[in-house]
Amino acid sequence: MKFSVSSAELLKQIQLAGGAIGTNPVLPILEDFLFQVKGKILTIQSTDLETSVKTEMEVKSDQNGAVAIPAKILIDTLKSLPEQPVTFSVDTATNSIEITSSYGRYRLAGENPGEYPSFPSTVTQDTVKINSGILHDAFQKTLFATSSDELRLAMTGILVQLDFNKIIFVSTDAHKLVKYVFQGVSSDVATQFILPKKTCSLLNNILPPDTEIEISFSKSNAFFSFGHSLLACRLVDAKYPDYNGVIPVDNPNVLTVNRTQLLQSLRRIAIYANKTTNQVALQVDEGSLTITSQDLDFSNEATEQLACTFNGKPMSIAFNGKFLIEMLSVMSTDEISIRLSTPNRAGILTPAEEIKGQDLLMLIMPVLINQGH
Amino acid sequence: MYDRAILHMDLDSFFVSVECLRNASLKGKPLLIGGSGDRGVVASCSYEARRFGIHSAMPMKMARRLCPDALILRGDMDAYSEYSRQVTELISGEAPCFEKASIDEFYLDLSGMDRYFGCYQWGVDLRKRLIREIGLPISMALSVNKTVSKIGTGEAKPNGSKEILKGTEKDFLAPLSTSKMPGIGEAMYKKLSFMGVRTLRVLSEIPPRLLEREFGKTGRVLWERANAFDPTPVQPYSEAKSISHEQTFSQDTLDLRRIRNILLSMVEKLGFDLRQSKKLCSVVTVKIRYADFNTYTRQLRIPYTANDRILLRHVYDLFDKLYERRQMIRLIGVKFSGLVHGHYQINLFDDTEEDMNLLNELDHIRKRWGPHAIGRAVNVDRKKEEDHQTQPSKTQTAVTDPRWAKMVRRWW
Repeated sequence: MKFSVSSAELLKQIQLAGGAIGTNPVLPILEDFLFQVKGKILTIQSTDLETSVKTEMEVKSDQNGAVAIPAKILIDTLKSLPEQPVTFSVDTATNSIEITSSYGRYRLAGENPGEYPSFPSTVTQDTVKINSGILHDAFQKTLFATSSDELRLAMTGILVQLDFNKIIFVSTDAHKLVKYVFQGVSSDVATQFILPKKTCSLLNNILPPDTEIEISFSKSNAFFSFGHSLLACRLVDAKYPDYNGVIPVDNPNVLTVNRTQLLQSLRRIAIYANKTTNQVALQVDEGSLTITSQDLDFSNEATEQLACTFNGKPMSIAFNGKFLIEMLSVMSTDEISIRLSTPNRAGILTPAEEIKGQDLLMLIMPVLINQGH
Repeated sequence: MYDRAILHMDLDSFFVSVECLRNASLKGKPLLIGGSGDRGVVASCSYEARRFGIHSAMPMKMARRLCPDALILRGDMDAYSEYSRQVTELISGEAPCFEKASIDEFYLDLSGMDRYFGCYQWGVDLRKRLIREIGLPISMALSVNKTVSKIGTGEAKPNGSKEILKGTEKDFLAPLSTSKMPGIGEAMYKKLSFMGVRTLRVLSEIPPRLLEREFGKTGRVLWERANAFDPTPVQPYSEAKSISHEQTFSQDTLDLRRIRNILLSMVEKLGFDLRQSKKLCSVVTVKIRYADFNTYTRQLRIPYTANDRILLRHVYDLFDKLYERRQMIRLIGVKFSGLVHGHYQINLFDDTEEDMNLLNELDHIRKRWGPHAIGRAVNVDRKKEEDHQTQPSKTQTAVTDPRWAKMVRRWW
């Protein structure tokens, strides 16, 4: 097998595929890319057994063949080469690879392509087309709220619900929850699946901006196809908790405040909170919001006061400040509303002004503070 | 002149002194404080009782045999804590830097005060003031480091004071028995005696490498201390690193239902303390001592929590994993450590609002009417039974807050 290709173009493709390669794979061959040449087309594959990426590019070649190439060496080599044609020649009997550049020759040992895990079967049931902008936006707003607790597998991923003309993204770690709804998606199916967190952050990195992405899915896999690339992932096989049941609908105390001001204030206050628990207390009164934190171990404490609009009963409520900061920083509107009920019940963050076709809701659980009687 | 001047103060037979102060008729009588059953231990005893050969940590049964006429009191931890607080308050008003090493022990760093006050004179004045204002006997010793001062206080007792001048520390330590050195317990004392080491002079002359081989790191520390070298600083404030509760049964038991109920009440009690001190814990430990005194512990790291429900689940899990010998159990204990300041993060799916309100209300009732004012119904009958508290050592303060360690169960 022999082919030559532009180093920069190859680098672009393997960097895209490289995202699926894990740091400490269970099988040594998972540290490799699978290169297959057929006619003038080079297919590059990578996998961590959960997420697989397949991408194609044109090369100059007159010999077909396949080999598994160690990913790290290949990426490092291409990164250190200025743009130029490079030639790969592979001895398919011994799987030894020789790369030739204008500077010299580099020899590395490949592995048997027959041992490379096969790409998931692309026989799927349903297909939906969606703009990559929506996916970028949805992943950015939901990824931070996923859980890393392997005991509750469902919550380690993002729930995607297709409901004819709506698509809903949900993530939660039982302390916070994000629900993001997009209207006006053309789909003729109603279904739901859970995407693993790792796949979502990989997609977030590799999806091209403003492109139609075709998502197709079967019972166990989902496929994202864009350009000449295809990403497959195994869906999280678990039952997502009934999130709609736990979102309160009757939070009567509504606080409206400038998002940037609150965010900046929280960032300052959080410096003075305990580094492990990050807890901040909010005292809400008519027209003013007082934020305080303290770290008894170091005798640090901080207080700030913000102007706000508040309709309801004044109250004190405490949250993990880090959660609030994460939520506020992925929101985009100038003003946001926080709906509260009692100090022991969930608070709901929403943009103060509605964005057409979108519906964003963030829920945060407070920490239990002893109520003075 | 001292480069470094450390004053050690220790309240003499603290619990007994408090009882005498509250009830003068107890004065001059052999008095024991601790669990009164056969399996209790002596937490504190009066000097009159010591004449019969009784010492603290001795099993109550043996103490009663040595002195059948001794008065036995159960002890009132709240009162002791209150007196301890008064002493602490007075010292904190005077001392530039002090460490409360346990409920009845203090280290004061007086370095640099010699020129203006005379450290010893200053200490004597403080001691006089404490005796006058609080009425409890207290002993003290002044020296160059914590070890020498503490041993000095032991020599000054009862109700005395002592100064070990700079340069004389080694001569002071040399003739003393190795058992007087803090850190040398019964087992190590026996081992040292067996090696022919009975005085600190001999200990200080042994090559330190030999001690290191026998006792590990502790060996080197002991040798340094025997040579009057101890750089440990006076630590002004040390926060409780863990809270724990243990219970020895009046009779060894196999009754798992009862044990589970006891674990439940321990978790309720410790959980309440945790929330009252506005803390969360991240390590749960369960301890079992079998009838043959073999003791096993097992611990688990968990996400920060102060919720009884979660804590109890982990305690039960640990107990089930730990209890595998199918043997009579003598003692069980629960410890929460890895503490951090904060409040419990409510869970969206597992915690209902009712649960949270219940937890709050229970805490409110306990705060108002005492920790045992309310609890699970399974434990109501058990309160009528006889049970005893083992007496933990006084000196482990750095690890465990003395208030918890010496917690004596009271009836409600």
